[in-house]
Amino acid sequence: MSTFLTENPGDQPVWVNTSNCKACDICVSVCPSGVLAMRYEISSTLGAMIAVEHPESCIGCNECELSCPDFAIFVAEKADLKAAGLSFAKLTDEAKARQAAIAANNYYSIEQGAR
Amino acid sequence: MAFNYEKYLRIQKMPTLWCWGCGDGVILKAFVRAIEKMGIKQDDVCVISGIGCSGRFSSYVDFNTIHTTHGRTVAYATGVKLACPDKVVVCVAGDGDALAIGGNHTIHGCRRNIDITMIVINNFIYGLTNSQTSPTTPQGMWTVTQKIGNIDPTFDTCELAIASGASFVARETMLDPKKLEKIIIKALEHKGFSMMEVLSNCHINLGRKNKMVSAMENLEWIDSITTSKKKYDAMTEEEKLNLFPTGVLKQDLEVREYCDMYKDIQDAHQGKRAKITQDDFAKKI
Repeated sequence: MSTFLTENPGDQPVWVNTSNCKACDICVSVCPSGVLAMRYEISSTLGAMIAVEHPESCIGCNECELSCPDFAIFVAEKADLKAAGLSFAKLTDEAKARQAAIAANNYYSIEQGAR
Repeated sequence: MAFNYEKYLRIQKMPTLWCWGCGDGVILKAFVRAIEKMGIKQDDVCVISGIGCSGRFSSYVDFNTIHTTHGRTVAYATGVKLACPDKVVVCVAGDGDALAIGGNHTIHGCRRNIDITMIVINNFIYGLTNSQTSPTTPQGMWTVTQKIGNIDPTFDTCELAIASGASFVARETMLDPKKLEKIIIKALEHKGFSMMEVLSNCHINLGRKNKMVSAMENLEWIDSITTSKKKYDAMTEEEKLNLFPTGVLKQDLEVREYCDMYKDIQDAHQGKRAKITQDDFAKKI
C-alpha cells in the first residue's frame, strides 16, 4: 500500500499527491514562476488544496519539491521530460508578475479571489 | 520519476502527524536525501529520537530506530555506538529534549566527542505540549507558562556545544533544503560528535500568539534572525546582537574520537598494550 506518487502521471513537469497535502502554502510561496496556487476545497481540513495551475511555466528549479514537508509535490527529472518531448520553460516576466499577484492574494488562485 | 523517498520511509505510518507547514518534514526529507547521496545502507544507520514532535522522526524512517525516553537520546546513542562502532548513529532531538531535560546528556556527549551526529530541531517552543517556555524561547515572547512575556534568558545551542567540546558544530535553517542536505552530509562524514542545530518553525504554538499566524510568516521571522557565518563575522558587536550565524561554526579534526580511545582500553585489557597513563594525552589537566 503506497500513499506516494513519485511516478509521473502522464507527461507533467510538476504533479501533486492531494491525499498527502495539508495546504500549508509553502510550495506556492517558494515557486518563482507562479505555477502553483491554492484553491478552495471543502473536504480539506484548512478549506484549501494545492493546484497546479500553469504547468507550462515550470522552470524545474525543484524548490517546491524540496521544501514540501509532506511528500505531496514532485518535479520531473529533466531527462524524463525530454524523453516525452517536453522541456522546462524559461522564467518570464509574465510568470514573475503572476507569482507576485498570487503571493499578494494570500497564495490563493487569482481566479478564485481573496481568502 | 522524482526522488524516491519510499525506499527509506515507513509509508504505512504516512501521512505524518506533524501540523501543516511543519519544518520537521523538510528536515526528514533532507536527511533521507543525505543518506541516499552518501550511499549508506539502511541497515548501517541507527536513528534515535526522544519525546516531542521531533520524536516522531524515528517512527517514519526505515532504518534501525529507537524511540527512547525524554532527553536520553545521547545516552542511548552512546551505548549503540560503543557496541557497534561501525554503524552511523544519528540522534534527533527537539530543543526541549536536547537542552532542557536532556541538557546534561548533551553536554557530556559533546565532551566525550563520540562519533554521533546530533540533529537538534529548534522551534523555540515546546510544541507538542502546547506552547510552554523552552530554553530557546526568545525573551519577551508569549508562552502558556509566561503569558505576560517570557523573561528567561535564552540558550544558544551552538555556543553550548562549542564550549562543551563538540568537534563539529553547525547551524542551518529549514528555509534552504539544499544547503541543509549538504551540511547534514558534512556532519555525517565528520568523525566525532557533530552537533547540528536546525532552526524550524512552529507557527501553531509559537506563532499563533506572537504575530506569526501562518507558516510563511514564521519562516520569514526565522530568515530575519539568521545570516551566513561569513557575513556575521564581518559585523560589529551591535549588529550581531539579534542574529544567529548559519553554516559550519566549528570543525576540529585533531581531537581523538571516543571509540578510538575506548579501543585502547580493550587492548590494554587484552595485554596488547600497556596501561593508559597521563603520558598518552597531550593535555594533562
